[in-house]
Amino acid sequence: MTTIEFRKDLFADERVDDLKQIGKPTVRQDILGHVTGRSPYYDDHLFDGLLHMRCVRSPHHHARIRSIDTSAAERMPGVRRIVMPSDVPHNINTLLSLINFGRDDEPLLSHTKVSYRGEPVCAVIADTERQARAAIAAVRVDWEVLPHVLDVEEALEPDAPVVNEEYPNNTFDYHERYDHQKLRFGDIGAGFAQADRVIEGRYQMSPIEQAPLETCGAIAAPETNDRFVCYTSTQALFFSLGTTAKLLDIASSRLHFVGGTVGGGFGGKVDSIVEPMATLGAVLTGRPVKFMWDRPEEMQVGAPRGGERWYIKDGVMNDGRIVARSFTGFFDCGAYTRLSSYAIIKATGHLPGPYTIPNVASNVYCVYTNRTPATAMRGFGITGVDFAIESHMDKVAEAVGMDPVELRILNAYRDGDMKAHRRLAKNTALIECCQVAADKAGWRIGPQFAAASSLSDGGGDRALIGETVTDQEGRIGERRQRRIPFAPSERGTGRIAAGTAGEAVSAARPQRDDMQPEPERIGHKVSAADPERPAQPAAPPAPAAPPPQAPQPAQATPPPVYEPQAPAEPPAPQSPPPAQPEPYRPSEPFQRGVKRPGASRFISGTRRR
Amino acid sequence: MLSVETFETIEEAAGAVGERSRFMAGGTLLMVAVNYGNQGFDRIVRTSDRRLGEISNAGDRVHIGAGVTMAKVAASRDLAFLAPAARSVGGPAIRNRATVGGNLFAPHPYGDFATALLALDATVHWADGREEPIETVLQNRGQSIGLAAAVSVPRPQADEFRFLKVARVKPKGASVMALAAWLPKSAGRLENTRIAFGAMGATAARVKACEAALNGTNLDERGIEPALQAATEGLSPQDDALASGWYRREVAPIHLKRLLIPERRL
Ligand SMILES: Cc1cc2nc3c(=O)[nH]c(=O)nc-3n(C[C@H](O)[C@H](O)[C@H](O)COP(=O)(O)OP(=O)(O)OC[C@H]3O[C@@H](n4cnc5c(N)ncnc54)[C@H](O)[C@@H]3O)c2cc1C
Repeated sequence: MTTIEFRKDLFADERVDDLKQIGKPTVRQDILGHVTGRSPYYDDHLFDGLLHMRCVRSPHHHARIRSIDTSAAERMPGVRRIVMPSDVPHNINTLLSLINFGRDDEPLLSHTKVSYRGEPVCAVIADTERQARAAIAAVRVDWEVLPHVLDVEEALEPDAPVVNEEYPNNTFDYHERYDHQKLRFGDIGAGFAQADRVIEGRYQMSPIEQAPLETCGAIAAPETNDRFVCYTSTQALFFSLGTTAKLLDIASSRLHFVGGTVGGGFGGKVDSIVEPMATLGAVLTGRPVKFMWDRPEEMQVGAPRGGERWYIKDGVMNDGRIVARSFTGFFDCGAYTRLSSYAIIKATGHLPGPYTIPNVASNVYCVYTNRTPATAMRGFGITGVDFAIESHMDKVAEAVGMDPVELRILNAYRDGDMKAHRRLAKNTALIECCQVAADKAGWRIGPQFAAASSLSDGGGDRALIGETVTDQEGRIGERRQRRIPFAPSERGTGRIAAGTAGEAVSAARPQRDDMQPEPERIGHKVSAADPERPAQPAAPPAPAAPPPQAPQPAQATPPPVYEPQAPAEPPAPQSPPPAQPEPYRPSEPFQRGVKRPGASRFISGTRRR
Repeated sequence: MLSVETFETIEEAAGAVGERSRFMAGGTLLMVAVNYGNQGFDRIVRTSDRRLGEISNAGDRVHIGAGVTMAKVAASRDLAFLAPAARSVGGPAIRNRATVGGNLFAPHPYGDFATALLALDATVHWADGREEPIETVLQNRGQSIGLAAAVSVPRPQADEFRFLKVARVKPKGASVMALAAWLPKSAGRLENTRIAFGAMGATAARVKACEAALNGTNLDERGIEPALQAATEGLSPQDDALASGWYRREVAPIHLKRLLIPERRL
């Protein structure tokens, strides 16, 4: 067994050290159930007359559906119901609509075309899983195969096939203006001009399936009081409930969702597809219905961590200081948005990594391709670009002939430094991590690097925000007309005065006062910009404020937009984004105080009790 | 619907196996097919015949019932020479169910035990009484409908038989390749050598060019060199999630050398 060494000495004055758990043996709260095989998973709930649902899926990356013939399947033994796209009451959604981000772009069952291999077009509900499989095999779909695109950069060619009709330029629309998320801090053009050398690299990460032992699934059944109960493997119970309410156009008060033990999630059980499917089955048949992916489905249609491609360009001085860094990032979000658009916001907030670099710019694209939609996985939005950044740091170290650990310490951010998203860095610890890691590995670093500290030499000049150069390249739709560079412009057309900080946006107030966190009970220092307290002068912005270019909540005032002084106007975008559709409203108003739900009359027990 | 039928004797079971039915031995592969909704069959045939689970000596050969499990082989004193091959199959739970007969029909990359049997020139005893060399059984796999009742193998001298499994995940991973060699000697030189590779093609297969190159030589670095050159002649290894065919071909001679001249490990 390895022993963990805690270096609590390093930041002793930053944290109230009254934590009692870490470093001591402790029994995980769910471990007894796991090792004795008694943890109840959703599939351990037994229902009388359980029906089984399976999907007919596309064998093509991209195809139009000419027709679907289910007549043979309907006559197969045990078949109770064929579920067509028209059976889905509100057959269009985007996962993040629950937080008002992005436009509805994905049907639960596709009716006109499919955009990735494995996309479902209809489903069969039968008495046994075997019968459902046999009936699925008997459904005839007349496909018109369309050209497809599987590579992020090819998808941005002017003549690339349109993957997702809601975003016809194959990119998510950021801030109703650009086909990518921009970050501009300082002047990379000037930084590269000043640098002794410019070092470029290209990094790429393939999609990764979370590969849970328990595949995604749910069982839904009618309950008393005209409600439906749904036992699910979800990682995001209320997300799944809200999504189901929307897709099925049903008041959320009529849904009783039961989660619990998740048989491995890692981000792959957020997408809320199995719950609306199973609940729809229960609504249509009045019987308990199970919808569970088998292993091939989990691998083929279960949303993975998306593939990413990054280009990094650094302007570096001969002594190893990085004076400018430019990123061009592509997230392969697959055929539908799911969570990738938001992962990019997080990735952008992280740039340029844990380093203080005076000039930073990035363009990050959320690209639609004919691949399985991507979703969350551990280190959401950050893992891919961190791989790119750290690989590039090694490349830079080699190019300038420096020790890679020393290069990192030299460029590391320190407390009080300004980050590229215009927030002051605090609780930084890269230097200490490098020092401890080098020490443990027996890796020698020079005395000045061994003596460096995150707590000293930060701030001052390093807290200043330089004059920032802006541009208007990459308007929505522009790329459909002509090829334009993907990388951030090095000759911007606009200027933002030095010292311009982002506008603080206070976090939404909690619904009830007793939900306000009490700083004394959190164990670490919290920002003084809490709306409850008087703001101290020069306090950093409130913690929940998004970076300047992050999406704004619907009601908030739009962020200040910096227009260039007098550049020629770029050509009007070819396809302006369609007006935001009416926000979703359930058919029946949400009711509080419904009677306590009665147990489903179908449930007959739980396995392994 | 899927039905399960159990028969008292192997002969009756053999008679019941036909189209759209499968014989079930340990079920380690068959039950996966059932659980994953394989629509290729709707009858499962079993037998409770005890003869299937017996190990017996007959002269210089050992008879192993087709229903003998890997765990039982590994524990059998008469089959000590086959214990390394049996222990290389799956983990303990799999070995408690996986049978010798099932291993003959396990698709790529499985069939580690069959690789050992092939190097030992085993004979397959069919339920209808026919006997057939394992080599043609493997070659004609897929067409031959019939139930194997037992296999019989000669008992090799100590150190004449060697087995090596190459896997990425230890100790339970599936084979990148399996190697088995029967190396009888006469007057200090190799004679009637048999070399078999598993997971280097659709089924376990011998490499006759390699065997020929070994016959008449000593087991030393120079002596085996021509055999290493010919290590993969006639094999057509496939690409799969574990390794590419190219990689398998590249590393096969290295593993063969390790099998023939075991390195001394500190
Ligand atoms: C997790 C896991 C790990 C595994 N690891 C390995 C491994 O490391 N090495 C390896 O070689 N294999 C491995 N296997 C595959 C398999 O377990 C073994 O090959 C095993 O020997 C198959 O035997 P069985 O009795 O379980 O076959 P079954 O599943 O019962 O049958 C398999 C097939 O053989 C046919 N069959 C069975 N017996 C006979 C007979 N007597 N006559 C005619 N046909 C017959 C069946 O009809 C069926 O088509 C693994 C399997 C799993 C699930």
